[in-house]
Amino acid sequence: MEELNCETVFTLPVLGDISESVVVTWIIMAVLVILSIIFVRNLRVENPGKVQLALEAAIGWAQDFFEGIIGKENRRYVPYLITVLLYLAAANTLAPLFGFKPPTKDLNVTAALAIMSMFVIEYSGIHKNGVKHWVKHFAEPVPVVAPITVLEIVIRPLSLCMRLFGNMLAGFVVLELLKFFVPLIVPIPVSFYFDIFDGLLQAYVFVFLTALFMTEEME
Amino acid sequence: MISINMSLVYTIINLVVLFLLLRHFLFTPVMNIMEQRRKLIEDGLKHAQDAQDDANRMKQEYEKALSGAKQESVQMIEDARRNAKAEYDRIVGQAGDEAGSIIESARETVRIERDKTMQELQSQIADLAVASAARIIGRKTEDQGNQDLYDQFLKEAGESHGDADK
Repeated sequence: MEELNCETVFTLPVLGDISESVVVTWIIMAVLVILSIIFVRNLRVENPGKVQLALEAAIGWAQDFFEGIIGKENRRYVPYLITVLLYLAAANTLAPLFGFKPPTKDLNVTAALAIMSMFVIEYSGIHKNGVKHWVKHFAEPVPVVAPITVLEIVIRPLSLCMRLFGNMLAGFVVLELLKFFVPLIVPIPVSFYFDIFDGLLQAYVFVFLTALFMTEEME
Repeated sequence: MISINMSLVYTIINLVVLFLLLRHFLFTPVMNIMEQRRKLIEDGLKHAQDAQDDANRMKQEYEKALSGAKQESVQMIEDARRNAKAEYDRIVGQAGDEAGSIIESARETVRIERDKTMQELQSQIADLAVASAARIIGRKTEDQGNQDLYDQFLKEAGESHGDADK
């Protein structure tokens, strides 16, 4: 049972308790930034190396993917979406594989991601069409639906948050139980499924839905 | 197990920081490079297109100039031929005229010469006749033979004179 809790790793004098998920997030951040610095060194326009080509292919794929959803004219949101995708992929797969608890198992992390998604979704709509259109669009098909569409502001990120949290927690719990009962060999394929497949899938779903909601909002 | 606490705020801060760091270290340089390469390729293609267009235009110009030169040369040859023909005709005509006039003048000269000769001959014949007559008159009628000789001479002279006149 203690596995499910997010323990406090240490306590800072002003900021208070620093939980495990925050520390793992820091580690993930450090790894991502260091890897980017290593890979981005010596970029060349002509005769790129193999590493550079792979990096460009990955970034290009992600760019095309998001531009395909939110449109080429809204490409300014693409870096944010790729950041979230990278963070979620690292958190969902690498963290458990290297023995950390996935930070996305903590509701605070998924809630934080969902809140940011909410802000980005609404901001993109306001930035694209102006405040007046944003206010009006709540009563869009018929004014009766206005309460529901207003609720949607909260429901969309809430569903994002809960989907991610539930999936990761469930996977984690199932895996812990399995490890408790059958500690040999059997957890390996299950770990592959829950940590790698489900982890990447949830990362994909999270950013995909965020981008989709942004498109909806920018119409 | 499920509790909202300060971790939420820290995570938001973490994510914003991560976004800024990645944008600075990853997205901006990589996208710049990709953009530069795209531009490079586009420029290269545009350059190639321009060069090809240029080449095509120059080729057309050359072809035009070449066909113009061909036409010009044909025209020049035609002109030269016409000029030469005219000159030839002129020269031949002139030569014919000259030859005609030369022949004419030669004929005239010959006629004048002949007339002059005839006159000279006539006068010489007359002199001869006068001299002969004087001699014959001087001798008076020496014999009949002389009379016959004189007659014969006159006759002959008269005949030859008459032949020349004819």
